[in-house]
Parts: sequence; structure tokens; C-alpha cells
Amino acid sequence: MRRLLRDWLAVLALAVVVLSVLAALGAPLIPGDPYDNDLSMSMQPPSAEHWLGADDQGRDMVVRVIYGLRLTLLMGAVSVVAGGGIGTALGLFAAFYRRIDGLVMRCMDVLLSFPAILFGLAIAAIAGPGVTAVILALTVATIPLAARIVRGVAVGEMARDYIEAARATGLRDSRLIVKHLLPNCFSALSVWATLRFGQVILLGAALSFVGLGAQPPTAELGAMAAAGRNFLFFAPHIAIIPSVAIFVIVLAFNVLGDALRDLLDPRLRNLGD
Amino acid sequence: MLRHAIHRLLLAIPVLIGVLALGFLLMQVVPTDPAIVRAGPMATAEVVAQIHAELGLDKPIPVQFGLYLLRLAHGDLGVSIINNIPVADELGRTMGPTLELMLASLIWSIPLGIFMGTIAAVTRGGWLDRLIMAISVAGVSIPVFFVGMILIWVVGFQWDLLPFTGRGGPLWTLAGVSSIILPALTLGSVFVGPVARMTRTAVLDTLRLDHVRTARAKGLPEIAVIMRHALRNAMVPVVTLIGLQIGFLLGGAVVTETIFSWPGVGRLAVGAIVSSDFPMAQGTILVLAGGFILINLVVDLLYAVLDPKVRV
Repeated sequence: MRRLLRDWLAVLALAVVVLSVLAALGAPLIPGDPYDNDLSMSMQPPSAEHWLGADDQGRDMVVRVIYGLRLTLLMGAVSVVAGGGIGTALGLFAAFYRRIDGLVMRCMDVLLSFPAILFGLAIAAIAGPGVTAVILALTVATIPLAARIVRGVAVGEMARDYIEAARATGLRDSRLIVKHLLPNCFSALSVWATLRFGQVILLGAALSFVGLGAQPPTAELGAMAAAGRNFLFFAPHIAIIPSVAIFVIVLAFNVLGDALRDLLDPRLRNLGD
Repeated sequence: MLRHAIHRLLLAIPVLIGVLALGFLLMQVVPTDPAIVRAGPMATAEVVAQIHAELGLDKPIPVQFGLYLLRLAHGDLGVSIINNIPVADELGRTMGPTLELMLASLIWSIPLGIFMGTIAAVTRGGWLDRLIMAISVAGVSIPVFFVGMILIWVVGFQWDLLPFTGRGGPLWTLAGVSSIILPALTLGSVFVGPVARMTRTAVLDTLRLDHVRTARAKGLPEIAVIMRHALRNAMVPVVTLIGLQIGFLLGGAVVTETIFSWPGVGRLAVGAIVSSDFPMAQGTILVLAGGFILINLVVDLLYAVLDPKVRV
């Protein structure tokens, strides 16, 4: 941790992440409603009254960006946690029970053969566009990535003596996996999850931007940028501000992930590429 | 070589079956009856029943799946619910522009990425390396639509230099070339960062190898060592990784086509899904998935040709 704090860029990134998470969590505490419109303020550029201006409906952009951040981060968190969780379980089972290894990993290969955007399109086609469709698509696209990484680490651990020793003491399989195998995957997982979070946010925003994710008037950064596109030439701030917000938060996750990777394990250097 | 090729082809089969099954499933879960769609709104019950029988919709599911595959083999993807145009025709019209856009993006972003990555590797640890790596991290963090909107706003609107809506025409016309520049810059921008990063890692790896040291010891100028010995060997992993990143490009293409009203498959897919045009959505997803599998397969085989080590 102290080494991480010495890298000023990583500190800045960490600060951005912490601040946005706090803002997202505290959104309901701030005065103002993301759907409160005042048409007299429509498309106002940033001013003392509205720090980031107002959108086409005259809604305050500060409030909307914070609520947008809340939904964007929530979508990212749910899919990384769900996809990462399922993937981790599959990866651990594959490493522990070698008989199912081939089958599980071939299934993961099939899932990996598709870019996330295709899951997004397919699931939105079946379930209809919306936040749920995006989360589902991002989760499915995340599972094989986590499974691959966890299996890779866990197979290496399985060859170590301590697993043999733990087995010899008569430990049950489930305890062995949870108490010994899983903790050893944490450092690889934390680096991966940080980098993945950025990617997932970017993908979710893209899906919302083209109209397959959050639907207007929902305050979501991608959807807000898409709505602002119509006013790009006379009120560019409506589209630019949510886009910058996405850029900054994704950049922060990427910088933080890179720093964590260098710190925790130089061997993982190619993980995010 | 042959064994590698066969292995790859065999691995592609379950993926392909998965795609086809997904396409079939897509049509099973949607609430519309394709027979009614084909017959049109004025059709009588008898006509609908007749089409039902023709399409085999009264048969059990496995038989229906077989019939569906048969129709696919004949290039019959159904007709659009919205405008009654055969899906295959619409796909035929949009595939060209999408490929055109992807190629136009790769043609500048890959060389630039390789150039930047090589410079970064050579000046490792220096300010230039750090600058290039900062640019590439920013490149993978920026939303594609943000790049597109900035280009539209600045180059298209403020400077009034280039068109930013639709495709002006074929690439051998001036209108065609000028209309593809901004979309290609937008889509390619997401690719420069990853390529630069991969190239840097790969070149750094090869710079450590014995033959590079030998080349240096021979007194070859540094530029020759890098161009002839390091970069050439580094190309193998870079080409593979570029191939694997094509999916990334596909996602960007969907967004880019939407922003620039580019008449490609991605925009068609999004439009079909938003307007619940199920046959069209199914067709576009099948084509995008199939195209993606094909590209991956080609990259895999190309990899074997480039790297003799894989052939054994």
C-alpha cells in the first residue's frame, strides 16, 4: 500500500475512484432531482447557478452527472461482481477437479469467441433494450475472462506442496478450495477486476449510447451523451460533460489497475492487453 | 501446419453451432409469428396456415431447427417486419460499408500503433516512452462516441472541413473518401493504444534475445538492429493480438456507424433491435458473429504461417 501511495498518478486515480464511489453512494443526499426540469433554463451553459449548465430539458447537469455516475458504476459493479464470481467458481472447479477441466474451459473458449458487443446486441434483441440487458450481457462476457485467470493461477497452486499437506490432514474439498486455493488467486483477481471495471463501464456506456441500454430520461452517462448529441452544435456541454465523466472514471480504473499490477506481481504484466 | 489448421477448424465448429442455435433461439422467444409477417397484414387465416406449413412451423422443434438451417444454407434469412425487405438483401447492402470502414480504420491505426510502440520500447523509461504509454492508456479509456463527437464538432462543424453524416459514395470518388475520413479516424483511435502497448511489450521481449545482441555486436547501426531483427520477430505476437482485438473493433464499429449515420451492419443491427424488427436483428447478429468467427480463424491460420514454431 505504501509503495502504491508513492506513485502520484496512482494516488490521483485512487482519489478519483474513491470520490466517484462516494458521490454515487451519496447521490440521494445532494439537493436536487435528476428529473427536475426547468424549461427556462434549457441548454444553459455552465454558470454560477448551474455549475455544469443545464440540459435540453433544463435539468441541472451536476445532479444528472452524479446520478448518471451512480447508475454507470452500479452497472459496472454488478456485472464485474456477478461475472467475476461465477467465473472464479468455474475456474476453481476446473483447476481442482481435473476431470471437468476440459469441458469447462472449452465452454469458456466458446464464450470468449464472441466480443461483448455481440452479447449486448443478442440479449437486447431477446429481452428488449434496457439496463438489465446491458448488465446481463456484460456479466456473460466477463465470466470466461475470470474463469481463465483463476484457473491459470489455481492450477499452479495445485502443484504446490501445501495443497498436498492440507489434503493429507483430511480437509474437505470445499474447505480446501475456499480456505487455500481461493485466497491465492486474490492478487491476480484484484488487478484483473480493476482493469475489467473500466472496460465494462466503457462497454455499458457504448451500449446505452446507441440506445440498447438505459433509456431516456434515465440519468445514465452513456444515454445522456447520446441525448446531448442532438444539441452538439449549439449546446455542446450537454454531450461533452457526461462523456468526459466516463473518460475520467475509466482512465482512473485503468491507471489504478496498471499500478496494482506492477505492484502485486510483475509477472502479470500482460494481463490487461 | 495442417494439424494446427484442422485443430482450429474443429474448434470453430462448436462455436458456429452455438451461433446458429442462438439465432434460432432468438426467433423462438420473440412474440411475433413469422408466418403472419411474411403473409402481410391483409392475409387470411388460410394463407397464414399455408405459410405455416411451408415454413414447417407446425413441426416439432428439432425439425424446425433443421429446416431453419436449410433455409440459412439457401441464404433465406426472412423478411423485415418493418419494410418487408428480405433480410439477406439488406445485409448485402450494409456489409460492404462496414468492411470498408473497418479497413479504413486499421490502415492508419495499426502502422501508427506499431510505430509508437517501437519508439516507446527503444526509449524505454524515458519521457517519450512515458508520453506514448500515457497516450495509449488514454486511448483505451476514452469512449468511442466521445472521439466521434469531438471530431464532428471541431473538424466537421467549427472548421467545416469534412462531411460527418452518411457515406458519400464509393471510395474511388472524392465524396466517398472525404466522408470516410472522420468515421475511420474515430474507429481507428480505439485501436492505436492497444497496438502500441502490445508492440512495446513484444519489442522489449525481442530486444533481450541473443540474436539481437549478436547483431549489435556485429556493429550494425541501431536502426537496422531494431527494424531488421527486433521488430520483425515482434510482429508475430502483435499480429495475433491484433486479430484477437477485432472484436473490440466490432463494438467500436457499432457505435461509430451510429454516430456518423454510416450505412453498415452495426447501425442496421441497432436499428432493428430498437424497432423490434426480429428477423432483421437475427440476421445482423448472425452475420456479425459469423464474420467475427471467420476473422479469428483467418488470424489463427495466418499466425501459423508467420510463426514456424506453431507449425510443429
